[in-house]
Amino acid sequence: MTVPNADAKPFGRTASLLSPFRGWEDSPQEVFARLLFLLLLVTGVATLLLVLVMVAREASPALFTGTGLWGLLITDPWEPLSQPARLGVRHAWLSTLAVTGVALALAVPVGFGIGMFIAEIAPATIKKMLQPCLELLAGIPSVVYGFFGYVTLIPWFESAFEMATGESLLAAGLILAMMVLPFIASTSAEALGAVPRDVREAALALGVNHCSLTCRVLVRHAAPGLFAAVALGLARALGETLAVLMLAGNSVAVPGSLLDRGQPITALIITELGEAGVGSAKRQALFAAALVLMTVVIAINVVIGALKRRILHGGA
Amino acid sequence: MAALNSARRSERMRLWQDGIFVTAVWSVGILGFILPVSIVAFLFYRGAGAITWELLWQSPRSFPLGSSGGIRPAIEGSLALVFIGLVVALPLAVGGAIYLTEYTASDRLRRAMSFCGECLAGVPAIIYGLFGYSFLVVFLQMRFSLLAGGITLGLVMLPIILIGAYEALRAVEAKYREAALALGVSRLYAFRKNIWPKARAGVAAAVVLAGDHAFGSAAPVLLTASVIMSKGGLDLSSPVMTLPSHLYYLVSEASSLEQAYATALILVLLLLVANVSVLLIRSRQGR
Repeated sequence: MTVPNADAKPFGRTASLLSPFRGWEDSPQEVFARLLFLLLLVTGVATLLLVLVMVAREASPALFTGTGLWGLLITDPWEPLSQPARLGVRHAWLSTLAVTGVALALAVPVGFGIGMFIAEIAPATIKKMLQPCLELLAGIPSVVYGFFGYVTLIPWFESAFEMATGESLLAAGLILAMMVLPFIASTSAEALGAVPRDVREAALALGVNHCSLTCRVLVRHAAPGLFAAVALGLARALGETLAVLMLAGNSVAVPGSLLDRGQPITALIITELGEAGVGSAKRQALFAAALVLMTVVIAINVVIGALKRRILHGGA
Repeated sequence: MAALNSARRSERMRLWQDGIFVTAVWSVGILGFILPVSIVAFLFYRGAGAITWELLWQSPRSFPLGSSGGIRPAIEGSLALVFIGLVVALPLAVGGAIYLTEYTASDRLRRAMSFCGECLAGVPAIIYGLFGYSFLVVFLQMRFSLLAGGITLGLVMLPIILIGAYEALRAVEAKYREAALALGVSRLYAFRKNIWPKARAGVAAAVVLAGDHAFGSAAPVLLTASVIMSKGGLDLSSPVMTLPSHLYYLVSEASSLEQAYATALILVLLLLVANVSVLLIRSRQGR
């Protein structure tokens, strides 16, 4: 094998990125393959980053003109037809908050319970059967959940609460809870299962029962992972579109209670975008709402990433 | 004596506590079974009767939408969208993953890219839809079309496949790479003969899951490609019907519940097929 002379490389510093393994033969085929794969990687990631940039660019006029971000989020009502149009999305993020709150309030305890069941109590065969079930629950498309809620929950709401229409934030939140449940359950099961063996054995050697072991010892050790599970559920719930669009009732009034109808941010965007002309203030406001949503979700994902790294590196 | 009594009492308390805990955890565990099984069973019960040959093979007719005829254009449209999406996403995602596991020695690049991938996989699908709408549909003037929708779905799948393929390739032990390279073969040869056959199944599983996710995802399609009604026939520059958007339209116009049940059931059946094939792929790899 000839050892290529490092100085002969044309690229200087990048050369080490392209050919880290100095000393293996640089046949044209090899160089081509390496460059091709690098190109594919860069194209892919760059395209995805372009998504973020484009959404931010479309949104920026709404953030820096008129009443700005404060007006968009807090003070202005959603009155696109008034003169001049007032484009605040307070009702939307309040609705998003309400459905997400209901969903997490239900899915976090049940999800943690399923996580404990999988990690601690379930016999191996049941564990094996439960995991595909959770994958199934996670895989059902949003629109099917929306439809399922539409034919089951909504008629039931109408009769049980004597509502004119059963569409409400509560109904959307209930279905959303089912949708985020598998993510919370499997992530928390993973976190509890990753608690080192010696911790578990030390606790058992002291004669504690299942309850104390799980609730007092394991939960403390798995805390970052459990937090990541909640964050994952939150991120999922915030971005969910079709189910909340079909169940929350699509009303632009600011919701006063969980039984009111509402319009989460995602539902607002889908409903209004078709009627928002290119370059119109309405479209900019919709993109600004999307940008806020995207920023929050990405921030949550960054936190999850940091937590995961902490779990992997054995700290807790 | 008093101390002994209180010790007994606390012992009994602890037994109670443990019993309650175990029962509670068992019951939520069982809920984890019941929820998915009952949703699927419900859709089967209500939708199975509505799936007929006519539904699968005919175009929708008459007004309001879905009151007669079938959903064939929606099935075709969904399949075509996912196919185009895969054409876009597969090379970028798998090629990128190969670069990360096989070619770069920079751990920092690897970590940065997989972190980016995970963040982007978490971005809601509707954001990709907005990008497709503002960039592809409006800026590049593709209009609502199969092509714009396909590329958008490709972007939805890209980070999922990238992470899945990266994990699958990374799961191949380093010793195989080292052994091959120690024999003096080229990196490409080592990859083709040694690494890829071991990682193939994992990559395939990731692709199937991503494809199914894209197939059922309505938000990006509603913003870039779908129409309420089309006569069928696929053309890159014209819009299409899709199964998820069809289901949405059927519900929002409250036209045909029966067809809606059938459409929902078909979406779920596809999911079951995808999940089972992933299980099969994984078990084959395990052997």
